[in-house]
Amino acid sequence: MFKEIKFALYAIKKNIQSSAELRTSFMMNIVGMMINNSAFIILWVFFVKSVGVIGGWTAADIIGLQGFAALSYGVIFSVAVGIRKLPDYVASGSFDRFMLSPKNLLMRVATSAFNASSAGDVIFGAICIIVYGFLIHATTVQVLFAIALIILAVMVFFAIALIANSVSFFITDASGVVTGGLFELFLTPSLFHGGAFQGVMRFIFTFIIPALLIGAVPVEAIKNISVHQLIVTTVMAFVWLFISIKFFYKAVKRYESSNFMTFGV
Amino acid sequence: MKRILKYFRIRSKMVTTLVKERVQYPVRLFADSVTVIIRCGILLLLYSYVFKLNHGVINGTTFLFTSWSILFYFLFATTQLKYISRKMMEDVQSGGLEMILTKPISYISYRGWSQFGFGLYSFIVAIAFSVPALWLTVGIPPTMHLAIFIPTLIMTTLLGGMIYVFIYSLVGLCAFWVEDINPIFWIIDKSVMILGGSYLPIALFPSFLYKLAMYSPFGASLFVTHTMYPSWEGEWHRMIIIQVVWIIILGAALYAVYQLAKKKVSVNGG
Repeated sequence: MFKEIKFALYAIKKNIQSSAELRTSFMMNIVGMMINNSAFIILWVFFVKSVGVIGGWTAADIIGLQGFAALSYGVIFSVAVGIRKLPDYVASGSFDRFMLSPKNLLMRVATSAFNASSAGDVIFGAICIIVYGFLIHATTVQVLFAIALIILAVMVFFAIALIANSVSFFITDASGVVTGGLFELFLTPSLFHGGAFQGVMRFIFTFIIPALLIGAVPVEAIKNISVHQLIVTTVMAFVWLFISIKFFYKAVKRYESSNFMTFGV
Repeated sequence: MKRILKYFRIRSKMVTTLVKERVQYPVRLFADSVTVIIRCGILLLLYSYVFKLNHGVINGTTFLFTSWSILFYFLFATTQLKYISRKMMEDVQSGGLEMILTKPISYISYRGWSQFGFGLYSFIVAIAFSVPALWLTVGIPPTMHLAIFIPTLIMTTLLGGMIYVFIYSLVGLCAFWVEDINPIFWIIDKSVMILGGSYLPIALFPSFLYKLAMYSPFGASLFVTHTMYPSWEGEWHRMIIIQVVWIIILGAALYAVYQLAKKKVSVNGG
């Protein structure tokens, strides 16, 4: 296991170095993405100003929400963006090279590429969470909650991204239209004002499509120092991670190699 | 006259070919529709809850107007016209630009019409399903009964579409100088998203943001989201004039930038 992690870290390092070769483009992508993400904060802060406080959510909570969502998105789609490329790998036949690799298949696929713009999401997310901490005058317990919840949110994000993209083993989806649509079902609600999800909607987007687990629930758990919400998020994160890995390996059995000749290291 | 007929014959051929191609891929249509339903549907559910909490009225408007405004925004998005910039970037990066430049049609025109053809089918299907669905669930605002509604809606949609294509074409032309235009695309796209009234409908804008939406090209490209509000009846003349002014300005800018881009072109790959 340690060897696998060491290899994954090596692959990530090499991917980052390769990406950073085009320095201007690399920096522009990071800065551009940070500006892009600010738009969601602007929108929802105006929303709070127009509509007022809903479900106890203030403008500060919106910053926290966007921070969590951007950080989870950024972590997975920067160092593990290979997951998003699964539909393309499957359709083109380049998945062969991962299957032939002696390394752990999932880790090998996930760390097969790096996306510079998602590094912008990571930086943006981290800044937002720090700002949120200052705005709510976070205590040590809240900081510890935040660290734990970031890890859990990343786990949930990874799980759903993996499930959505593994569908490509069942449906040929080279351009990712189906997997993209499925993933959108998870991602879109995660960026919306958390206080507006109540009743049935909250249940659906917490337990069936766990969109709220990557932003809204962590923010509320930190704000209210809710051990209950922390436990729910922890259980759900592990359950989804387990399901996603099982689903991925089950889906891989459906893989049929195409005839394209592709090589890679 | 002959030249005009030829102009439209070529373009209509392009559009019909692309529509036929889209019809052949029902999965894509399904994915497009699902994306719109998810984004728009969840947003409408959230707003219905928010309006209920505020006793049905926020900033002097009701859910009836807001829901139609949000729907119109998302319907406009199904045209996928904004991806003209990405297509232009791909042309430059792949070297495919060389092929298009040799065609007897202007590059911008070719890209604009093919993008229109690409999104037309999804747009029509989305209208066919979503408009009756919203009509049945929330009803239609009284403004939609006005005689001027349909003609001005069509006019503002077409003019807005032109502004939209011009804005994103200008972004796409940046690919002739900087190969990766994604950061520029994101910034412009989010400006359009905010000022166009996507997640936050224009009726809920603070006054300075409303003015910015009125007088910036980003907001002008999506005046279609204003059409259902009661103020439309008295303001549509002014908004159409604003759109025409932006078309002239952006059209001139696009022409000038394209002339510079043609001198700058370097074809990669092959």
